[in-house]
Amino acid sequence: MNMSMKDWTISLLFTSVLTAIIANFFQNDVSIIESIPGVLILSSIAFIGIFIAKLVPFKIPAVVYVALTGLLLASPISPISDPIIYYTSLISFTAPLTVVGTLAGIGLDFKAFMSQSWKMIIIAVFVFTGTFLLQAVFAQVFLTVTNAF
Amino acid sequence: MEKAPQKTTIIGHLKENYRLYAIAFGIVIIAELIGTIQFSVGSALIVLYPMLFAIIISILFGKDVLGFLKKKEAKKASQLVLVAISPFMAKIGVMAGSNLPELVNVGPALVFQEFGTIGTMLFALPIALLLGLKREAIGATSSTNRDKDYGLICSKYGANSPEARGSLSIYIIGFLIGTTYLGLLASIVASFDFFHPLALAMASGIGSGVMMAAASSTLATIYPAYADQIVMLAGMSDMLSAITGIYFTLFISLPLVNKMYTWLEPKIGRRGKNISHNKSTESRISQ
Repeated sequence: MNMSMKDWTISLLFTSVLTAIIANFFQNDVSIIESIPGVLILSSIAFIGIFIAKLVPFKIPAVVYVALTGLLLASPISPISDPIIYYTSLISFTAPLTVVGTLAGIGLDFKAFMSQSWKMIIIAVFVFTGTFLLQAVFAQVFLTVTNAF
Repeated sequence: MEKAPQKTTIIGHLKENYRLYAIAFGIVIIAELIGTIQFSVGSALIVLYPMLFAIIISILFGKDVLGFLKKKEAKKASQLVLVAISPFMAKIGVMAGSNLPELVNVGPALVFQEFGTIGTMLFALPIALLLGLKREAIGATSSTNRDKDYGLICSKYGANSPEARGSLSIYIIGFLIGTTYLGLLASIVASFDFFHPLALAMASGIGSGVMMAAASSTLATIYPAYADQIVMLAGMSDMLSAITGIYFTLFISLPLVNKMYTWLEPKIGRRGKNISHNKSTESRISQ
């Protein structure tokens, strides 16, 4: 990501932060005031993760650092895990997603999509079916073998 | 991308992007007003989330259909996807951190199911060959062709190679098909009642946050008792795919798909027909 942290933060504020609070109200009847701490905590975790991703030279997607930061801060070793888990539990995981779909849809090259051949569309369906099904099979087998249910 | 971010003031930033933010905000409100719709088809529960409505509405409003947004704003929007999805990934991280023993428990299965990625070629390569594709099939079926995979194919075979054309096609189609279809697929497969919900959750992580979100939210609705674990595991699986995916494609999938191609192509490939319709798309994308 080659955006400055300042631009990143403003963008986040006007996309996810704003809409997640609203979406959480629509989807889960959580009042706007009640949603604010949770959304701000998630955004701060995201901020820290993205900041770490900028510092660390390994080429791993920045969202991975975001998830790892969240994992660490909410794990039993974290002194602030309780408030983090409590406030973020008020935010449903689908609340921050609506704006993601929106931006992805706006960014989609629909013309390029329409110009694809029907053959490729069929192949795409098999690509996604194949990976989903075989991953499910492998997961099922290994969950059974390792007795992890 | 090309120009250095000169306007570092908040006002400057907003002047440049306020239209995009406002329209995106409006679309979110519309999508949330539609809300979540679920219905049964046979024994499969189909769940339509505001995110899916948002995708459809924003394509309609976007530059190619109704044209409310300009090309520049569309480009900005696709950059912002990675920004906007980060609180969701933070949420997944928090869920994983608070369920750490659970995560450790299923850890081995979580790692090994990544090998299921070869399912792309096992299912799709024979179909591609039967449909008459040649080298395009290699790019198209070597992975789910998300951003990094496409980049990899380009650097290995060249951006104008048939392999890259095939990969680009699936990349373009993948977003729309993948996101809407994966939720549907999750419902259908869940209705077979054969897989454990957690296995399906892991299968949802295919290296694209948006697709994983679509599949796992559907699964979470179908299996409310496992909702949190489903989202957590789908997210962790997706994270793992994001880290390992490109190496998997490079060292395992591509050699395998090439072997399979040389073996299968003479048997089931159609002679003398080579599709070249993608060339026009290619030039349009790379301009």
